[in-house]
Formats: sequence, C-alpha cells, structure tokens
Amino acid sequence: MDIRRRNNVNVVGPADAPVLLLAHGFGCDQNMWRLVAPALAERYRVVLFDYVGSGGSELAAWSEERYSSLHGYAGDVVDVLEELDLRQAVFVGHSVSAMVGVLAAQAAPERIGALVMVTPSPCYIDDEGYRGGFSTEDIDELLASLEANYLGWSSAMAPVIMGNPERPELGQELTNSFCATDPDIARVFARTTFLTDSREDLKGVSVPTLVLECEQDAIAPREVGAYVHAAIPASRLVTLDATGHCPQLSAPQATTAAILDFLESVK
Amino acid sequence: MNPLTISRRDTATGPVLHVTGDLDYDQAPVLRDRLDQLPVSAGQCLVLDLSGLAFCDSSGITALLAARQHALAADADIVLTAVPANLMRVLTLVGLDQVFTLRPDSSAAS
Amino acid sequence: MCRTGGVPEPTGTGDEAHTTAAFTALLEDSVEDLYESAPCGYLSTMMDGTIAKINATLLDWLGLDREAVVGRKRFADLLTIGGKLYHETHFAPLLRMQGELRGIALEMRRQDGGRLPVLVSAVVKHGTEGEPLLIRITVFDASDRRAYEQELLRRREDAERARAEADEARRQAEADRARLADALAVLQRSLVPDSLPDVPGLETAVHYHTASPDQLGGDFYDLFPVAGDRWAFFLGDVCGKGPEAASLTSLTRYTLRAAAHHDPDPASALSTLNAVLHERYTGGGNPRYCTCIFGIVEPGGAQGRAVVRLASGGHPPALVLRADGRAEFLPTPGGLLIGVVPGAPIGTAETVLAPGDTVVLYTDGLTEARIGPGRDDLFGEDALHAFATDHAPASPRGVITALTELLEGFGDGLDDDTALLALGVPATPSTPDPASPTVPATSHTS
Repeated sequence: MDIRRRNNVNVVGPADAPVLLLAHGFGCDQNMWRLVAPALAERYRVVLFDYVGSGGSELAAWSEERYSSLHGYAGDVVDVLEELDLRQAVFVGHSVSAMVGVLAAQAAPERIGALVMVTPSPCYIDDEGYRGGFSTEDIDELLASLEANYLGWSSAMAPVIMGNPERPELGQELTNSFCATDPDIARVFARTTFLTDSREDLKGVSVPTLVLECEQDAIAPREVGAYVHAAIPASRLVTLDATGHCPQLSAPQATTAAILDFLESVK
Repeated sequence: MNPLTISRRDTATGPVLHVTGDLDYDQAPVLRDRLDQLPVSAGQCLVLDLSGLAFCDSSGITALLAARQHALAADADIVLTAVPANLMRVLTLVGLDQVFTLRPDSSAAS
Repeated sequence: MCRTGGVPEPTGTGDEAHTTAAFTALLEDSVEDLYESAPCGYLSTMMDGTIAKINATLLDWLGLDREAVVGRKRFADLLTIGGKLYHETHFAPLLRMQGELRGIALEMRRQDGGRLPVLVSAVVKHGTEGEPLLIRITVFDASDRRAYEQELLRRREDAERARAEADEARRQAEADRARLADALAVLQRSLVPDSLPDVPGLETAVHYHTASPDQLGGDFYDLFPVAGDRWAFFLGDVCGKGPEAASLTSLTRYTLRAAAHHDPDPASALSTLNAVLHERYTGGGNPRYCTCIFGIVEPGGAQGRAVVRLASGGHPPALVLRADGRAEFLPTPGGLLIGVVPGAPIGTAETVLAPGDTVVLYTDGLTEARIGPGRDDLFGEDALHAFATDHAPASPRGVITALTELLEGFGDGLDDDTALLALGVPATPSTPDPASPTVPATSHTS
C-alpha cells in the first residue's frame, strides 16, 4: 500500500533537519497548519499528512472499524513514520490528535522523541473531579446533530435530496473546501473524538512534552490544559493569549514561537 | 361454468335430488355436503335426477360414489336417472354402469 | 430608466419625474431600518467572536435583549452545543482560512430553550493593511427548509424501507415457491420412475404431460421385472388432483409393485389394489379411486414374440399398432374403477406382440382432449384409432413421438395430465422403422 498517497503526505523544509510531524484534528485537514508550517519549515523538516477519511486521503482506505478508535488514527501516524523511516521525530498534534500522538508514542517509542499538544483534551466529558467542559448530553446533542445532517454545509444535503449518491461530485462542487468531509466519516470521527476517555494514557508519556492552550477555548478549557500538564511530569504548559480552539489559525505567530522555543529547549 | 343447483323432493319411496349445472372439482363438494345432511331410511331409494347435469368430471363421479356409499350405509338403494349421454359414456368406460342402477327418467321412481 | 450618453430621451420627462417620486415614496425607509428589520439576521463580531452589533430581527428570533448580547456574548454562544462544537472545529478555522463562508447549516439556541435551524454566511472585513478587523455574519431562518429537508429524508427513508421490505417479501416468496417446486418435483419423481429400465428383447418409450407445473400429476405408470423373466407394467389415473391425489398415487404404485411380486397375475394385482383402496378410502365414507391398466409381458418367445396379458379396472383400452399397418384396441370389458366396491370385477385381455408390433397404454387426457373451433368436441377413441392406423407400423419411440406431437397440437384443449407408455418388439433389421429413434425413451412435458 502506498502510505504517502493514502495519507496525502507532504514534506517541506531542509532534508537533513530534525523532523516535525504535524497532525490535524477533528474536522479539517493538514491545511490547518498553513499559517505556521512555512515558519517551522525554515529550520525543520516538516511532514504534513491527512488521516484516512480526511482532506486529500484515499477515502477507499477508510473503514468504520479501524477509525472508530483513536488507535486507528495512531496507526496512520506510525505508518507515516515508518514509511518515511523517521526516528526521534517531534509530533505536533492539534486537539484530538494530541492524544493520538500519545498513543503513537506508546506504539513506536523509538520514532517519537517529543510531543507538542495543541489545545489537547484527554476527555471532553465532565467526570467526578474532572471538568472536560461538556456533559454527556452536550456530546450526544452534537452527535445527534451530525447524525441528522443538521450541521455543516447544507449542500451536504444535496446528494441526499437529489437522490444521487452515485454521483458525489454533484455535492463535491458545492462543498469544495478543506473542512468538508464525507458526512458518514465525520460522524465516526466525531464519535471517536468526543466519546474517548484517554486520561489513563497520559501517565505513560515519558518524552518531553509541550502543552499549548488558549486563554479562551470553548472546546478545551483551561482546566483541561492544567490537567494534562499535571499528568505529564516532563511537560511544559504555555497559555497563548488567543481565543478559540485553533491557535495555529487565530494566533499563528505566537503558536510558532512557542513551538520553536520548546524545540530549542529539548535539542 | 354452470352453477350447481340441487333441489329435493320427497316421495313415498325416498328422496329425489334434482341436480343441475356442473358437477366439477369446485362444486362437487356442494353435493357431498348436501348428501351428508340428507336423511335416508332403510329400504328407501335415493334418486339422483341428473337430467340437468351439464358437466361431470372425476370429482363429480366421486360425489356420485359418495352418494352411493351414503345410501348403502343406511341400507337404502340408489338410482341415477336421466343420465346424460356424456356421463353415460364415462360411466360405461369405467364400469360404473354395473355399479349404479340407471333409469331413463325420474318419473319411474315416483 | 436607463440613459445612455448623448442619446436624447425620446419621450417626455414628466413621466420620469412622476416615477422617481413614486420610488422615493417607496424607499422612504432608512438604511438603519433596513438593517434592523431586514428579513434576515445580521451581526458583526470581533475577530475573537465577541458580538459588536446585532440586528433586531435576530434578537427577536432568539428572544434576546441587545444589552445581554453586545460585548458580552460571542457568536458561538448563540449556538446549540452541537453548533458550537461545529463552529469551533469547522466554521471558525475555515473562516480564518478562506475569509468567507456561505450557506453553513447551524442551529441557534432560543432564550426559551427552543432551537432555530439557520443557514449562516460570514465574511471577514479587512483593514487597509489587509489585517482582519471584524466578521460580518448573515443568518437566515431555515426552519421551513429544514422541515422540507427532513420530509424529503423521511420520504426517502420510507421509500427505501418499503422497497427493502418488498424486495425481502419477493425474495421470500420466490424462495418459498422454489422450495415448494423442489418438494413437488421430488414427490412427483417418487410417483413415476426417473427412467424406464432396459428390457431385453423389448423397446419401451414413455411420455408424461403435466397439465400444471404447480400441481402434482394424477397419472402414473411403472415398469419393473418380476420373477421368471417377466416384466410388469402399469399405467393409470387417480381421481382428484394435488397432494391428496399424490398420496393415492403413491399408495397405488407401491401396492401394485408389491402385489405383482406376490402374484404376477394381472387381475390379481388389480384385485389386491381394489381391496386396499376400498379399505383405505371408500369403506370409510371417503370414496377415492383410480383407473388402471396392468400388464405382464414375457419377451423372448419364438421369433422374438412377446406375450402380453392385460387387466383393467375402468381404464381406456390399450391400443396395438401391428407390424402390418393395422391398429386395434384391446378391449378389457367389465372392468370397474379400482377402489369403489369390494371385489370389483376386473377386465382382462391378452395378445402377442410380433416383431414390429407395439402396444400403447394411455390415460384419458388423450382421448378426452377437447378439439374443434369451440373446443366443444372430444378427440375420442375413434380419432385415436384412426391416428394409430395412420402411423402403424411404428416403434414405441416412433408412436410416442407422434402422440407427443399430437398432444402439443391440442394446445389449450389438453387440460388434463396425460401419460403414455409404449412397449414393442423391435422390427427385424430388414424393415427399418420409419420414425426417428433419436427421441429419448422417457420424456416429460408440461
């Protein structure tokens, strides 16, 4: 199998430089890194990819069984690391991908030398003594809304309404943007993202880790950043003066600076 | 298809059933039901007047045999009268002309 | 209304002034009023989503006060939780990347707890340096559209379910039908032999026409060896049709087989059958019967001759096609339907088949076939005799072939099962059979 094609792997930056593997989160694809990748690529070899089911990946390689678990996504990460024969790479994961990186580092410890967790959350649902930011009902509502096609491009309804699922290009034209994904795949990804509790996995992280959080984040509140930082002894917590869940878009310079600073410290 | 009608007339010697229409697979059970309900006493003679019979197949013949069985069980006789030519040919072919008492017309019975 | 440079307006300007005045009257609402009361929601936010401006229409839809919103809430705060998550993971990143978004389906939260399905378009307003300044958002009420989409989806799901159910029902029906057909075929095969055995010194042929492929046939035949180099054969017709007829056929066939082994006298075999059927059916008030012709043939006599002894209970007479071109019935007078009365009389006949002679047994499907323009006449024994005379001499295969073609020619005039069984002593090589012997010795049609 051609992993590079399957995961739409793109490599930029000096060939002999240390490697940064940038992993997108739920919803979009490697374009999420568009505003930070060029600056990072000045000093690092930057590897970008899409998880199977997202962006420019091969949708035919997607299966509900594999991608109903974060381990399936971690499998994609390990596949890419092995395909490029990368060792001691720095894994930069956004949102749910931060936890995917933790699992990948467990599976292939020799290939991941450090973690950058951008707005991570090991568990989105509140629990006794833990505030994830959402109740079970909240997450159910999101999943139900996705299930019913209530959210997103209304043209996602187009193929359904036109009764023409055999010609998805009719819908494609209307939703040709990088966050547009197959609704079925998006539902599975959302379910996996928001229903997984990975708190136990944090304990196994032994590599140097940067936890990047935002001042205001509706999805991963400050308490979660603090929890992750506390759970990983070898971690550094940086709070960006930014709003939203995607600092690499809303505060690209600050994000880049924090990552570079961390990389300098672990050299 | 000719509908099957059965009319009954009681005489001094026993009941006379006048059977008209088709005695076929669909309608033969009607005659058999009618016979089951028909009281026949020992020594009587059950007469089946077949002058109006338009058609009779093997199910019809089975019904006629059931009539015979019914009469014999009551120690009564059975007579077929005015048997149409077609049926006569079949009855002869299968030997039933020896089994049934056949008469040209029903008047002789009354 | 459109003026092009230099071209004078051909008609009077009085009308024009009037029209302009009318538009002014129509357009007396202000831009401010249009913003506040437009039939869609407007709002402007800072780049972090904080709401800076919102129109009355949207406040009204959501049941919110301006004071509680402006400077206090972010756009995402107006959304349902699902909408908010979607906003953070899709809407906001995409807006950042592309600078604009059109027609995104979201759900807003009303003050009363209800939901408002909306379609949202957004555009980022940039400053003179190209830096993003604020986000302008337009919100359309999509309740009707959502309901319409839901209805379409529901209809589609209903249609798919109905189609799936219909497909399943059809599959089930076909499976049931196939199973029934298999069962009938197995049962039917148990009523007649798969193929006729080879009889030394004799040629045999058979044909079975089933009136309905869904119904078990009521005709039967068989051919099998008995003691002393003799062969027994029979052919008959039970009353009724379907499974009841089949059970009667089964009883008849195996009774005759057993009786023939016990006492190979044809009349004895039929008497035994008569006793069995009478005891089983008619004696119990449920008359059931059959007609049957039973024969014993002893081939291998002088000059290849074979002696045939026949017994019949109410069955049409056998037909013999002689080598010299004659055809004759073999009457078995006095025989009665089997199973009707105890000790029923059995008719018998005997003949000798010389080389080139063929005896044919048939059921009344053949002679009772309806012919003529109105299908009012029966084919009958006379026509059968004439037909046989025309074809004599004929081998068993030859005569069965000819009769099969005759049956096919009856078309829908043939509405009963019909069985044909022929046995003959092969003609000597000097008198080749004119009819082709290529037909299979056993054939079935329906």
